[in-house]
Amino acid sequence: MTRPVLWNYDLDDASYTVRLMASLAGVDVDLRAVDVYPGAEHHSPGYLARHPLGRVPLLEDGVVQLRQVPAMLTHLARTGPRGTGFLPADPVGTAAVEDWLAFAFRDWLALSAARSASIFGDGVDLDPLRAAAIAALRVAEDRLVAQSLLGSGFVAGSAASVADIALFPGFALSRDSNIDHDAFPALRNWARRIRALEGFVTMPGIPDYH
Amino acid sequence: MPPPPVAWTPVALAADLQPGAAAGVVVDGAEVAIWRDTAGTPHAWEDRCPHRGMKLSFGFVRGERLACLYHGWEYDGGGQCRYIPAHPDLDVPASICVNRYSAADAAGLLWVASGTGSGDLPDPGDPLSPLRSLFIDAPLGEVLNRLAADGLPGLGPVVESAEDGPLLNFDQAGHRFVVGRHPTGPSGTALHILLKGEVSAEARAAMIPATAELRRLAEAGR
Repeated sequence: MTRPVLWNYDLDDASYTVRLMASLAGVDVDLRAVDVYPGAEHHSPGYLARHPLGRVPLLEDGVVQLRQVPAMLTHLARTGPRGTGFLPADPVGTAAVEDWLAFAFRDWLALSAARSASIFGDGVDLDPLRAAAIAALRVAEDRLVAQSLLGSGFVAGSAASVADIALFPGFALSRDSNIDHDAFPALRNWARRIRALEGFVTMPGIPDYH
Repeated sequence: MPPPPVAWTPVALAADLQPGAAAGVVVDGAEVAIWRDTAGTPHAWEDRCPHRGMKLSFGFVRGERLACLYHGWEYDGGGQCRYIPAHPDLDVPASICVNRYSAADAAGLLWVASGTGSGDLPDPGDPLSPLRSLFIDAPLGEVLNRLAADGLPGLGPVVESAEDGPLLNFDQAGHRFVVGRHPTGPSGTALHILLKGEVSAEARAAMIPATAELRRLAEAGR
């Protein structure tokens, strides 16, 4: 059986989200490096033929070709030997996971935008991005405070779901955009729980406590 | 009149700093690293590695030691550097030492003080149920005035409120709230909120939206 192929850029947070999910789910993927910076390979004709939107990552698994990160996360959770726990089976749990997954790929993207603007320095006004990022962090913090009080350590229940994995990189990398973790104790403890999951991996900017 | 300075500052809910964890806080305008060793003993240090100035709160706990994220220098509970990975055979000089604060657990809170700390820590006697730490971008005085007068928004009138050194106590909705007051800067406040007695998790979780509303109102200055 051929392994899934992930077109990947190591410093990209979305690519890391998919590498993390694959590792947690126990899926071995073949990585193909895309030279996003400085090569702009994601805008090359060869890459655009596979991914007309010109973004990383891209996941190919047999006949399945995925260009959207949430679809990659759910696909890996569904197909990986350790993946099923990341997708609840019941309607109530599924509803919560889908709601927080949508949050991760809408409101939470402010964290990603603030980080890109901070480290790639593309002249964007940082203040509104940071304000939106902090607003999103507070929504997640308030949720995790309530969840923790109720004995549920993760955003959508008592087990880590695809939504938690989608949210983890934005928080773990927030110091790249000068947003510290001091004001988010519930998120800090949640991040420790994610780090403790079997198969957890890091990326540059997320320390590996060796 | 500003309140008299207090020796001990509440910096976190005790339960929010787990054994083996480190975090950054501000005490009297200074950046402080708080951490618990794996046995659960709390420590508070200047948040700066003597080697290259890296924040020690970014570091990681190994047993009884805190290790710096940059180069892995390990400090024991006394703040003394004991191990430098790049020079594993070196007998580390005693001069490589972190400046320490006092740290203590009391009344469900983690407290930090400069030097050895002075004055007694509060002893509430009764059990306390933790609610949350709430970080607000507004000055401490304004937040406390609002809290003493109105409590948490939407929970009904405040029956009684009283300042007790670094704590603010008030009665609202049939509960006695105990709030550790923690200035994080000239226009920043942290409230570390607990409830007297055994309060169910469901009742506490239901108060979280009211805490978010308090933060919103305080920051809007309304």
